[in-house]
Amino acid sequence: MSQPFQMPRFLAAPRLLSPRLSLAQVPLIWQFAVIIALGLALSALWGGALRWPEAWVIPMRGWITRFFEWLGEDAGIGSYKVRDLTRFLADLLDQPLTWAEYLLYRGIRPLDLPPLPWVSIVLGAAILGHWVGGWRLALFSASCLLYLAVFGLWRDGMRTLTIVIVAVPFAVSIGLWLGIWAVRSRRVAAVVSPMFDLMQATPHMAYLVPVVILFGFGQVPALIATVIFAMPPMARCVILALQTVPPEITEAGTMSGCTPRQLLWKVQIPAGKRILMLGVNQVVMQTLAMVVIASLVGATGLGQQLLTSLQQLKLGAAVEQGLGIVMIAIVLDRVTQAWANRPTDYAARGRSWRFRHRHALAFGAALIVSFALAALFKEASVLPKRLTVTFGTQMDEAVRWFAKVSYDYIQPVRDFITVEMLIPLRDFCLAVPWVVVVGLVGAAGLRLGGRGTALLCMGLVLGIVLFGFWEPAVLTVYLVFSAVVICVCIGLPIGIWASRSPRVARPVMAICDTLQTFPSFIYLIPVIMLLKVGDLSNIVAILAYATVPSIRYTYLGLRRIPDVTIEAAIANGATPRQRLFKVELPVALPEIMLGLNQTIMMALSMVAITALIGSRDLGQEIYRALPTADTGRGILAGLSIAAIGIVADRLIQGWANKRKKHLGVG
Amino acid sequence: MSSDVKIRCKNLWKLFGPNPARFLQDHDGNPSAEALEEGGYIGAVQDVSFDVHDGEILVIMGLSGSGKSTLIRCISRLNDPTSGEMDFDGKDLLNATAAELIEIRRHKMGMVFQNFGLLPNRDVLSNVTFPLEMQGMGREAREAKAREMVELVGLTGREANFPGELSGGQQQRVGIARSLAVDPDVWFLDEPFSALDPLIRAEMQDEFMRLQKVLKKTIVFITHDFEEAVKLADRIGIMKGGRMVQMGTPEDIVLNPATDYVAEFARNAPHERIITLRAIMSSDRVVTDVPPLNARDLIGDVARQVLSSETPIAVAHRGKIVGSVGRVQMLDGLYGPEAQ
Amino acid sequence: MNHTRITAIALCAFGAMPALAEVESDEPIIIVQNNWTSQLVLSNVLGQMLESKGYTVEYTPSDSQLQFSALANGDMHVQVEAWEGSMKAAFEKGLEDGMVDAGTHDAVTREEWWIPNYVLEVCPKAGTWEGLNACADIFKTAETSPKGRFLGPPADWGKNYAARIEALNMDFVAINVGQAATLWAELQSAYDREEPIVLFNWTPNFIESKFEGQFVDFPEPEPACFEDKAWGPNPDATGDCGAPSSAWLKKAAWSGMAEEWPGAWSVVEKMNVNNAQIARAALLVDVDGMSQEDAATQWISENQDLVDSWLK
Repeated sequence: MSQPFQMPRFLAAPRLLSPRLSLAQVPLIWQFAVIIALGLALSALWGGALRWPEAWVIPMRGWITRFFEWLGEDAGIGSYKVRDLTRFLADLLDQPLTWAEYLLYRGIRPLDLPPLPWVSIVLGAAILGHWVGGWRLALFSASCLLYLAVFGLWRDGMRTLTIVIVAVPFAVSIGLWLGIWAVRSRRVAAVVSPMFDLMQATPHMAYLVPVVILFGFGQVPALIATVIFAMPPMARCVILALQTVPPEITEAGTMSGCTPRQLLWKVQIPAGKRILMLGVNQVVMQTLAMVVIASLVGATGLGQQLLTSLQQLKLGAAVEQGLGIVMIAIVLDRVTQAWANRPTDYAARGRSWRFRHRHALAFGAALIVSFALAALFKEASVLPKRLTVTFGTQMDEAVRWFAKVSYDYIQPVRDFITVEMLIPLRDFCLAVPWVVVVGLVGAAGLRLGGRGTALLCMGLVLGIVLFGFWEPAVLTVYLVFSAVVICVCIGLPIGIWASRSPRVARPVMAICDTLQTFPSFIYLIPVIMLLKVGDLSNIVAILAYATVPSIRYTYLGLRRIPDVTIEAAIANGATPRQRLFKVELPVALPEIMLGLNQTIMMALSMVAITALIGSRDLGQEIYRALPTADTGRGILAGLSIAAIGIVADRLIQGWANKRKKHLGVG
Repeated sequence: MSSDVKIRCKNLWKLFGPNPARFLQDHDGNPSAEALEEGGYIGAVQDVSFDVHDGEILVIMGLSGSGKSTLIRCISRLNDPTSGEMDFDGKDLLNATAAELIEIRRHKMGMVFQNFGLLPNRDVLSNVTFPLEMQGMGREAREAKAREMVELVGLTGREANFPGELSGGQQQRVGIARSLAVDPDVWFLDEPFSALDPLIRAEMQDEFMRLQKVLKKTIVFITHDFEEAVKLADRIGIMKGGRMVQMGTPEDIVLNPATDYVAEFARNAPHERIITLRAIMSSDRVVTDVPPLNARDLIGDVARQVLSSETPIAVAHRGKIVGSVGRVQMLDGLYGPEAQ
Repeated sequence: MNHTRITAIALCAFGAMPALAEVESDEPIIIVQNNWTSQLVLSNVLGQMLESKGYTVEYTPSDSQLQFSALANGDMHVQVEAWEGSMKAAFEKGLEDGMVDAGTHDAVTREEWWIPNYVLEVCPKAGTWEGLNACADIFKTAETSPKGRFLGPPADWGKNYAARIEALNMDFVAINVGQAATLWAELQSAYDREEPIVLFNWTPNFIESKFEGQFVDFPEPEPACFEDKAWGPNPDATGDCGAPSSAWLKKAAWSGMAEEWPGAWSVVEKMNVNNAQIARAALLVDVDGMSQEDAATQWISENQDLVDSWLK
């Protein structure tokens, strides 16, 4: 009785005899054939149907660039400039950053105090870990931070940590606030939720140019870009969490006499905590994912060092720095999750003040001891280089050795795939007239999602054409399509395998986590050494990142099948193979499709990274926009990627919904 | 049973659909079933009127979709009724301000939910303290009160457990303790035992009766189980399709079902636990050597005695012989009149 | 950033005069860092020099193109290596926006096609463009076959090698990489296997201390090369020449620097290094494996007299 009465859909009488129905009865394949034929004929008559004439491109790109230049330089009322406002905002945001810097690595300048010695931070991490999660977490946190110290990454690690510990609370609270607002007001939700779609589908790098124009260079703009990127998943999780609180819990709160504010903070938010914490987890992961990219606009720390290492071809050093980022991410994630799941400590109630504050006291003691140590031994304040280790050179040697011995085997395969498969596919994609694509997308949209979907999809594709991004967009689709096909071919079997046994699942999921946190830039170097500059390298670089959702959602989908369903299949005499293909995969299909959706999104976001290898796709457009401060180019290319993502998403979701209805679920 | 009216509902309507208030107005506040269907509205509660007396257990019984859960949510103002009148302690509840409502809920109402509605992040004790915390009671005081409640429902020793660590029955005990923590005047129970196993359910019903004996609350109890209704109720209201079909004492309903629908439930009811001697006795005032039976006795309690007696036994009410009961009447009472 | 700025902006907001310190300031001097070794070490050399004079110094990483607008608006204050070859346009844009040219180093730079020395064993004349072109087929890959592959710089580094290849009628295809690291990864992989490769490279950088090789000589450019078709090897095309074999290397700074930190400004103006000194700076890190900070300290001690003359 949770939702007492909902108006059944069929009551909203559909107009059964609209003429559209007759179109819907024509098989899709015939519609496609007609559209292709018409499109080819049209482009034979008029070249503009194949390639939109350069002269007719809407100069939106220039407008946007000039708008941002104006906004950054001249806009304002009288002598008050927008620039002053943004700079003021930046200086405001700089305050928490500065204090975090003071504490972690710079020393408190105004008071002439040294920064926290590394020993104290490692001990602090251990104490924090023990406080929220017990001895295991204490040991874990301390060893992760010890890694930073021992591998000589301390200072850069602290620089990165500075941005992260400021960005995460910012992103979490803004996301929380926006999410609550969207749940309370339908109008806000109508604005906010497509905006989040767009923001998440736009690659990180596309944000950088406007941020630089408005906020300049350095830690603060990096912080802002990070928050912008990390916030939407939080807001989304807040919305989901609040909407899925069981109605009885909300009612129980109301009947306990909660005011609306109490209801929100004491009932709904705690009850939705599991999903909220998923949001926090996403924020942490996204923040760390931005660490490297943010260094393009002036963030110091591990990200910057990592890029420098790569430029100097020190792959091993880059791997160590990348692992440093992963360590910080994991510690933050584990600590926040443990904190959220911490039980009330009743045992401590009756105990002494000293017992109840044992963690704070321990930290105080740790501070005193480590400052004393730091005063006596320099090693306790900053670990000198001679005491640190690195396996960078050895790793470099290993990668080079591997590249050398495997090259002869890999090269023929690489050449075959490139010449026989990829290049023909690319040429084919480039030869398709845009009118045909618009038509096909429209027909598919109409069939799968209705008129709204069709118009939206056609509009988005047309936008790409009109703003002059057709060719890079086609190359993007070609790369992403090839990558996604391979992702699914890899991800599906691994997901199925993992779902069969927890022994397999644990390491597979751990690898998935690492792959997603590990800075993707690092994959590029070995990929290039083995596969050379070319489309295959781009695709493989995308794979490393985008296979993860394929695996994860397949695994989850299969695991979530009710036991009875499987038992019923066994009782009906299904062989394991029949069980998989006739029962499990069809039932898990909606989840698997969601995984496909995510795979496409991940692949699209990786497109910006493949620009570093060398490509001619939208990623390259975005990457190139940064050094030239060409805001229009960056934003429009970013939005084009988002547009591709949205079209794919709508079509797949439309298909999945139809399918679900067919199965009688959802 | 006192006859003071605690809650009075008059012509209560709750419609779901595009614009219910407007629709109801357009149909003079009393749309027909056809009009509802045509307009695309669902009449969850239709023209329901009844009183709840101080200290009584009123059980609202109906199958799923009959509107009983919506009804209790209207009375507790979790849902706003589309139209009608509702008094609580003689005060107009429908026009109470949000602040007044919060006050009423903090001090006068308690509610138990089918799926317990416990806060998953709080342990037993702090679930029970929750309403007190909302009132702004200090920690010492509210924990003391909560421990008392926890003891009352027999969960002492489980204070630090989280809801997820408890069995269904234990969780519902927490729900009960929580709803009683503020000493409410009125206690709403929405299918409190439906999610429990039959054995636990019976145990909880007994527990409930034990509590009520001590607490003497005014209770509105929702169930879809007729047996549960007759076991617990002072009065039963039977709902179907959003309307209150019949309301009366269990005996009343079993003996004089208003519709075939009610008769269907009545037929399968455990007569021996519902019907009193007064309802089946013959008016022959016999004099026997065994002491007379009380007219208010449930027939099940005296069946063995009556059936093993060769002759009818006298029935008395307030010390006066008012009739007698013999094997024939008893058998009719237990199994219904012989088919003709 | 800094407190004075906040105060300044707050004052602006309330209509008061923005106040910049008129005397030497405690505000940190922000030195731009790019992602190649010599720049990083020389930045640290400058930083250590300034710190020795009592200034506060901070390092901020930046993109090699965007840095000039940051220098123009004062987000960052000084850059020790601005390259003609790859940064000329952005540098000039920066000057327009208010950045200042802080002088030219003695060092000259060169950006050109480059081959590892082992290529000369199979193609002895590869040191010149004609000789290289004669054995173009040893450089071919699956995609470029039958032509050879030239691995070019990122497309926007302001060099159109496709046009030069066409102007000189060479049997090559230019494949542009996305970033320098990609070039080095390809070079490393090919070098380990002694596979013929020709790619974009520049000097001074760390590559010369790690890999043995040489630039390919093209016709030295003159203005006429780009205007007069008749000039150069191809009588029918303009652009049939190489890049200048000696381009400038400059320093750049924020226009307010001379006013806010006059003492620091004079050091920046005097700082001047030659090719050998730059190569040495890179080598300390890339070959000897020192950190940039240690390398800077080492470099200063090796060039103490020079440094002292800048500090005077």
